[in-house]
Amino acid sequence: MNRVRNHVLISIDAGTIMAGARAVEKALTEEIVRQGLSDEITVLETGSIGATGQGVIIVVYPEGVYYGNVTVQDIPQLVEEHLLKGRLVKRLLLSELPKQHVVTKEKTGLLKEQPRIVLRNSGIIDPENIDEYIAREGYEAIGKAFSLKPEGVIEEIKKSGLIGRGGAGFPTAMKWGFAHNAPGDQKYIICNADEGEPGTFKDRLILEGDPHKLIEGMIIAGYAIGATKGFIYIRGEYSLSIERLEKAIAQARQYELLGDNILESGFSFDLSVMKGAGAYVCGEETALIESLEGKRGHPRLKPPFPAIAGLWHKPTVVNNVETLANIPEIIWRGATWYRGYGTEKCPGTKVYTIIGNVATPGIIEAEMGTTLRDIIYEYAGGIKEGKKFKCALVGGAAGAFLGPDMLDVQMDFANLKEYAAVLGSGAILVMDEDADIVDMLQSVLHFFKHESCGHCVPCRLGTAQLVKVIDRIAASKGIKEDIEKLSNISDVMRDTSFCPLGQSLCLPISSALKYFHDEVYARIPL
Amino acid sequence: MTKEKKLSITIDNRKVAVKPNITILQAAREHNIYIPSLCTLEPLPSYGACRLCIVEVDGLRGFPTSCTTPVDDGMVVRTDTAEIRTLRQEVLKLLLSEHPASCLFCTEHDECKDYQGTIRKVGVTTGCRYCPNDSLCELQTITEKIGLTETSYPVYYRGFPVEKSDPFYDRDYNLCILCGRCVRVCNDIRMNGTLSFKERGKQTTIGAALDRTHLDAGCEFCGACVSVCPTGALSTKVSKWYGKPDGETKTTCVYCPVGCELLLQIKNNETIDVFPNYDSTIDQGLLCVKGRFAIPEYVASPERLATPQRMTPLGYEDISWDDAIDEAAEKLSGINPEDVLIVVSPQLTNEDLFVAERFARELIGTDQIMSVLITDMREETVSFLNLASASSPFNVIDTADTILTIGFDSTYGFTPIGIKIKKAAKAGVNLTTLSVHESNLDIVSGETFQMNVTKWPALLDSIMGKMPGNGKGTKLKPLNKVVVIGAEVIFSPKRGAVFEKIVEMKDRFGWKVIVAHPYTNLMGLLAMGAFPGIKRGEIVSDGTKSTGPAVEDPLSAMDLARHRKVVYLIGEVPFENLPECDFLIYQNALSVKSTRKPDLVLPSSLFTELSGTIISAEGRILPIRKATDPYGKSMPDWQIISKISEKIKSGALKYSSISAIQTDIKKQVKSLSDVKKRLEFRKISAKTSGKGRTGKRLSDPKSSRKPWEEKYRGIALKDVVSGMLVIEERRRHE
Repeated sequence: MNRVRNHVLISIDAGTIMAGARAVEKALTEEIVRQGLSDEITVLETGSIGATGQGVIIVVYPEGVYYGNVTVQDIPQLVEEHLLKGRLVKRLLLSELPKQHVVTKEKTGLLKEQPRIVLRNSGIIDPENIDEYIAREGYEAIGKAFSLKPEGVIEEIKKSGLIGRGGAGFPTAMKWGFAHNAPGDQKYIICNADEGEPGTFKDRLILEGDPHKLIEGMIIAGYAIGATKGFIYIRGEYSLSIERLEKAIAQARQYELLGDNILESGFSFDLSVMKGAGAYVCGEETALIESLEGKRGHPRLKPPFPAIAGLWHKPTVVNNVETLANIPEIIWRGATWYRGYGTEKCPGTKVYTIIGNVATPGIIEAEMGTTLRDIIYEYAGGIKEGKKFKCALVGGAAGAFLGPDMLDVQMDFANLKEYAAVLGSGAILVMDEDADIVDMLQSVLHFFKHESCGHCVPCRLGTAQLVKVIDRIAASKGIKEDIEKLSNISDVMRDTSFCPLGQSLCLPISSALKYFHDEVYARIPL
Repeated sequence: MTKEKKLSITIDNRKVAVKPNITILQAAREHNIYIPSLCTLEPLPSYGACRLCIVEVDGLRGFPTSCTTPVDDGMVVRTDTAEIRTLRQEVLKLLLSEHPASCLFCTEHDECKDYQGTIRKVGVTTGCRYCPNDSLCELQTITEKIGLTETSYPVYYRGFPVEKSDPFYDRDYNLCILCGRCVRVCNDIRMNGTLSFKERGKQTTIGAALDRTHLDAGCEFCGACVSVCPTGALSTKVSKWYGKPDGETKTTCVYCPVGCELLLQIKNNETIDVFPNYDSTIDQGLLCVKGRFAIPEYVASPERLATPQRMTPLGYEDISWDDAIDEAAEKLSGINPEDVLIVVSPQLTNEDLFVAERFARELIGTDQIMSVLITDMREETVSFLNLASASSPFNVIDTADTILTIGFDSTYGFTPIGIKIKKAAKAGVNLTTLSVHESNLDIVSGETFQMNVTKWPALLDSIMGKMPGNGKGTKLKPLNKVVVIGAEVIFSPKRGAVFEKIVEMKDRFGWKVIVAHPYTNLMGLLAMGAFPGIKRGEIVSDGTKSTGPAVEDPLSAMDLARHRKVVYLIGEVPFENLPECDFLIYQNALSVKSTRKPDLVLPSSLFTELSGTIISAEGRILPIRKATDPYGKSMPDWQIISKISEKIKSGALKYSSISAIQTDIKKQVKSLSDVKKRLEFRKISAKTSGKGRTGKRLSDPKSSRKPWEEKYRGIALKDVVSGMLVIEERRRHE
């Protein structure tokens, strides 16, 4: 085997592909051959490194140098200067190197470290090569899980205190326990990869960057609850994720990590990828199950809960991608290690999607309990152009607007609840002083009207009325009572809607009015 | 059976004992505690869409819906707090933001209700009457109960065109509140799946997939969706503007031998609509298109005969009943029995048939009581009767492990049987369908055979060959195998060979048989002995093992080619191969177009206008109840026959009431005295007569090549009920 001098990682994800990553990759490979460096330098594809809006990103190891906005024209210079002569191409360096780009636990320069548990391999390994995952201790946790017995696995997860990362904040071990104890000859594990929360794409990073981690998590989950079949219900638009997942599943089957009698354990398990058809409500687990069964994506009546009667009325666990990606690390390194991160009530890390008016938007993984201030100012480089922070919509479209007074609140599932806010999907949309709260609210309400499934009266017609009111206000044609109407309708929806979609709309409305009542009021003509 | 332990719960400070495994709403209703709800309807599964039935439960977060929350021991429920009342009003306001509400909120609301109970023309001008459901509307009731007198949202009219292209019912989705009852009844109760939700969110509406018509989407036109609709969105074409019915009569459908219960809706002495009875033990409310939609138009047909008529050289003239009876009696008295042919419809009541049989045998002295099934079944009449009289009750399907359907389709008839089969198939029972054309059960069957009838006997042989215990002398273990035979085989000219195989399946291999034939009161006809060679009561089993009657081939015994002096049609129309005759008496409800014009016309009343009983295919004695007065001067068939008898021989056959006939029937047919008991029948076998065939052989009637069509008392439903024409055309295309 050749000893390779440099590894050049090119980040291939939905964003970089659009920026021309495939062409750059081709040019890079050709240039390296042309310069006769192919024995010394390997070009590897990897998933997203978490930065957005930086064009095509290339990372050169072992130096750990990041280049952004790389074009085909830059390649000859890059290869000649850096790879041949060992000189940095300063022009292409990500000068304000976003802090989330540090992928190890070691501090590098001034950058704030990220404890990467879920994203440990993302942006480092080739997601299309199972060997690279295995080389990073991948699939070790399966063996350990098999030695623990299903009850032992659930016990370990319980000790770790893992809470589901889908948004509802339900303890994972409890869900597994219900399904494990539920009678049934057939059980299922479903991964909810229908990432539909506006402004959230953290699951995509895992799916594109480290699909085997999810597969390993699902095998362990299946083993724990007694499911022999798993489904990954994935957002239909995530074509690269689907491609990589399917490739990963095929590789895992080839390595007999999926299929009959995995590692001679007597446990058999297989996975299928199912594409969603673009409905926000299918992120709700029972609507997801209906959709998976080929039906219209309406939420189901509860009880019975999926853990008792889910997919085809068999005991079923639905877990989010991020939740499942935590599993192999917890099993392999142990619950005690895991509890070393995060807070007492919510151990571990959280993957955030930071978008909006910040200097470096993207994906970061931070410990539970990290404050909003740290996330914005330490990880995301602060507000763009040095402007003032106005507020952040935290938790997705159905999250709460958090004002400056909330900047220093420790963010985890339990603590935010105290402040009538949610962690939700971990989306953080940051707004600077110039942002318009009415426009923002209008966009949120239009989204909900569009995504209401139509099952129950309050959500179907409440969202429609809310849109009418906010449109009126936005057009400066509202009346004083309209502001009250916004909170009244959303309160009725909270109390009477069928599923969380309609119930949660009161959060953005009440929090927006809490901080910015005057600003909304100013839009009402006198 | 051990008694279920009751749970104790508290609703609105009232301690009540309730069954386990029910919802709070069900518990409240059992104890007459009102909770408003629009989407819930027994026996549909809970849905939780309208959100009006919210309650407060100690220990449960927020406001759970009572229609979806199961009761639990010790539960404390409040159904009517101030907060709940406000929330209900707000939800209802939202609901009404898309439902035309002029009938709900109007300054003249109360006056309107008190003084103008029916639909009025003025509404067309004032614009408040575009809904046919006024005073029947559940939304009106609930708005009143919830105490909403005004709304804060402007009403948005969705502007859908009213869908009128399908037969029987109209759809105005501007009035739809998306409670989903129709979708659930279509999918979960009828197992049909024509209706579903379309679009999403505010755009949600209901209809058939891909915007097809209901006819194209496989709708059975059972009308279940119309019955469950709480608003005026779905309405029956013929009855939609009648307003609220003033009465309801429970009776039995006479269009086929299933014997479904009907709830006739009566207004102003007219049958305007028919509803199913979901509590029925016979049909579970699973009416077919005929029972649901084909009755009002039939009984109110413009072809109804109102007075007796006599043919004159100048055409028909109306005559009095006295004259008509005189004329009939004159033609029939003292006549040689050989010269009379009496034809009865198998769709008459037991009472009619009993009187007709006595009239034929006792007064006229003839055994030749003809019925149309003899010319339909021809040489196979006896084997057909053998199968029909051995028919099993329909619930054998519920416990079957193997079901075979032969030439059976339940789209437009026998729906209670069809739905039972669909349920069984869905539960994993092995279903095989065999037919010439596509059957509606093919979609749920494990194996589907579509082939010519001539190939069926061989296929049935192979099915029988698979059976265990095929060897001679081996004891057969009890089997739960059911074969259902339908119109495609019954009316096939090649039915003989298939019947033989089915008899073999039944007698040798223990298959249970269900015969889906159209002769409503066939069992009553046989029990009353209104059939050549079968005595009154002879075929009704009294529990002993005595064998049933052996009958001669009725078609040759009847010798239809021979000229008669008088033919007396009772509830039947002139048929092909009707013997030539000097005088034709036509006693029926509707006028008939036929080449042989009747000489005397006697108007009969229809089943909605009289009382009586029939015997269903399952052997149940079912009541026909009078709902309206007889049409015009029409009379029940038994009464006309009795009057003619009186003229011929006073006192011989005098009946003045239905109860007198029923008393006689009970006296003479012992096994019919217990109305509750399901009747069993003796086996009818063929008498091998030494005489051989008598009379001329009949020519093959053209009708045997014509496709079979739905008839009542000889008149095709498609000729009387407009929607049935569309259905018949559809059936023929398939």
